[in-house]
Amino acid sequence: MNNDITQTISRIAEIIIHELKLEDVTSQTFDPDLDLVDEVGVDSMDLATIALVLRDEYGIRIDEDDYPKLTTVRIIAEYINTKLTNGE
Amino acid sequence: MTALAKEYKFSEIIADPVVRERWEKVRRYFFLRESTYDMSNRCNLRCEGCYYFTGEKQFAEENRDREAWRQLLEAEKARGITFVVLAGAEPSLVPELCEACYRVIPLGVIASNGMEVMPREIDYRIHISVWGNDRTSLAIRKAPDMLVRQMANYKDDARAVFVYTFTPVNIDEAREVTELLAKAGLKITFNMFSAPVGYSGPLRHTPATLARTAQVMTELLAEFPETVLYSSYNIVAHTRQQGLHALFSCSYPRMNPSTDIGLGRSFRQYRTNLQWDRDSACCVPDTDCDDCRHYAAGSAVVTARMYRHATDPLIFSAWLDYVDTYLAVWVKGYDKGANICDAPVAPPPNNGLFPV
Repeated sequence: MNNDITQTISRIAEIIIHELKLEDVTSQTFDPDLDLVDEVGVDSMDLATIALVLRDEYGIRIDEDDYPKLTTVRIIAEYINTKLTNGE
Repeated sequence: MTALAKEYKFSEIIADPVVRERWEKVRRYFFLRESTYDMSNRCNLRCEGCYYFTGEKQFAEENRDREAWRQLLEAEKARGITFVVLAGAEPSLVPELCEACYRVIPLGVIASNGMEVMPREIDYRIHISVWGNDRTSLAIRKAPDMLVRQMANYKDDARAVFVYTFTPVNIDEAREVTELLAKAGLKITFNMFSAPVGYSGPLRHTPATLARTAQVMTELLAEFPETVLYSSYNIVAHTRQQGLHALFSCSYPRMNPSTDIGLGRSFRQYRTNLQWDRDSACCVPDTDCDDCRHYAAGSAVVTARMYRHATDPLIFSAWLDYVDTYLAVWVKGYDKGANICDAPVAPPPNNGLFPV
């Protein structure tokens, strides 16, 4: 499970870096506990874009009303892993 | 037996080069974060159904100190606001305050009745309100020759977009107005009269006037594609019997308790005394939310619902047309592309989810 979450965190970080065109950061250096809204400046349209790419990547739906909870890469990774474990 | 709808990946939805290009074009503007500002509590007109002169905001004291406005806009910029809407009552009466705003945040819109020319150095988009032909404007706005004067004031002015507000009494005058603007090389977009709270006058739309408005909008969009900034999906979203909130769940603070992300977090509507009130904060405060089909509200609320439109290429194309229209209407220098979805697709289901 730890391996899984580490891999998921790394992949989500890659996606966020790519989609938001973040500079001076890699998936290895991206702090998974950074607050995406307060510290990275992610807004709802950014998050919706990321959610669509994650939907493709993992084959899961991210409910619109779950957005406010998805505040860090680690939380997103746990959310995805839970959905995958539950077969949602 | 009903066939299950295909579930598209997002990569499939944007696989068509036309769709992908439009997606890449609009997403560059996702950095826009708006707030709105009442600039003056005075107006040189007094129009029936005006949302500004409803509720408490009209009684807020005016702050006419340029430095106070500059400081407010600096603070707004610091908290992430990148786009301003200078509205009530009539911003052209206080151009020095508009200029102070422009110097700090150079992206925005001024909503004006167009009776006074905004100085050219204030390079915001300017939305000029039109409520019918000049006979109807005289009756409802008590001003003679309005369109003639508005067009003279904003002739050859790339900032100007004329905003035609459809009411039940002016639907068939839209053609006359659109023809005049087309001949003058000016642009028009459409708004729907949205009743202020407690309004029971004749301007409130009915199912019949909504349907007739949709028909006229469709005809004008087809006949004047270079003049009319609109799309088939705009028509769908703004002329349904359900208002925007019922269709899309309004994300402005007035209807959205969440402060986590999006408009609920960042949007403020400042009154002329530079104060704001979360409980009434939206782009058209004191409008009856059940009747709200306002173009400004839709620009934010429909746009924010990207995820739920990303279900198949057709509906995503419709959403892209809507966002392309919104950007062309609101952002000076943004050129609208040809619409890519002419079909009047239905909005996706609104499950009453928590608005973001």
